[in-house]
Amino acid sequence: MAEYLETTVDKFIFRVATDRLYNAEGVWVLWVESHENGRVRVGLTDYVQQHNGDVTFAHIKPAGTSLAAGEEFGEIETIKATVSLHAPVAGEIVEVNAALDLSPEIINQEPYEKGWLAVIRATNWEADRAQLLDPQGYFSLMRSQAEEELKQL
Amino acid sequence: MSRTATYHTTVRWTGEHWGHLAMGNGPEMPFAPPPDAQGHANVFTPEDAFVAAANTCVMLMFIWATERFKLKLLSYECRTEGTKLIKLDRTEIFTRLQFRPVIRVAAGDESPAVVEARVRRALASAQKYSLVANSVKSEIVVEPEIVVDVR
Repeated sequence: MAEYLETTVDKFIFRVATDRLYNAEGVWVLWVESHENGRVRVGLTDYVQQHNGDVTFAHIKPAGTSLAAGEEFGEIETIKATVSLHAPVAGEIVEVNAALDLSPEIINQEPYEKGWLAVIRATNWEADRAQLLDPQGYFSLMRSQAEEELKQL
Repeated sequence: MSRTATYHTTVRWTGEHWGHLAMGNGPEMPFAPPPDAQGHANVFTPEDAFVAAANTCVMLMFIWATERFKLKLLSYECRTEGTKLIKLDRTEIFTRLQFRPVIRVAAGDESPAVVEARVRRALASAQKYSLVANSVKSEIVVEPEIVVDVR
């Protein structure tokens, strides 16, 4: 069970899981089982799901798709926006969360658990890892992004 | 992008229990209290305006939601009822807004159960994102009748 860093901005509570890494767009990366098998699970942060609203559809590229780090691997449609998703690591998609077909709202309900997006077999982990943020780093970035949004009100 | 917007209306007393309303978006009309509050029949009232504001806003948000949820909407009609409570101190409040939308959608090539589930999610989003529904303190109850047309 993940533990969380938590902050309140305006009336909204945002959580950041402490057991994974992040890119600056709010895609998280979690090792599946162990480092040896090279597979990571990816998903969206609590901040990204709250900021973009109720998810209506999730379109993730199918298993077998090769990705460069930063390449688009799918998009989510929400009630308010369409959000492109960029791969936090290079590799090959080996699994897509099948539950997203009928229940994409699980991205809103459980962004760090059942709402995961895909499993990627990472092919350049050491180099890609250096570009990712640790939980505290993403927490600070997310908080500054949220506060910046608030200033525009 | 501006995060605020303002809307305005102007009212002017025209004598007795009558007024004239000019909406910021153009329409103008007379208004009065409803018959149960020393008013008149067949005229725009603040009570109707309140209920209509919520009803129209939720409908328009639902129409938007049907597009985002890729639903094939065939018809939508909603009677909404606002319940007024007169308190012990004679102040009044709308305690409840009850929406009864009748919604027809086409199943297309999808399972009716899947489509109906998506309609319910679209309705929940419509309520959540409706500016007016979001702004009132009345309890909001939505009791939809959903027909998925499989022809």
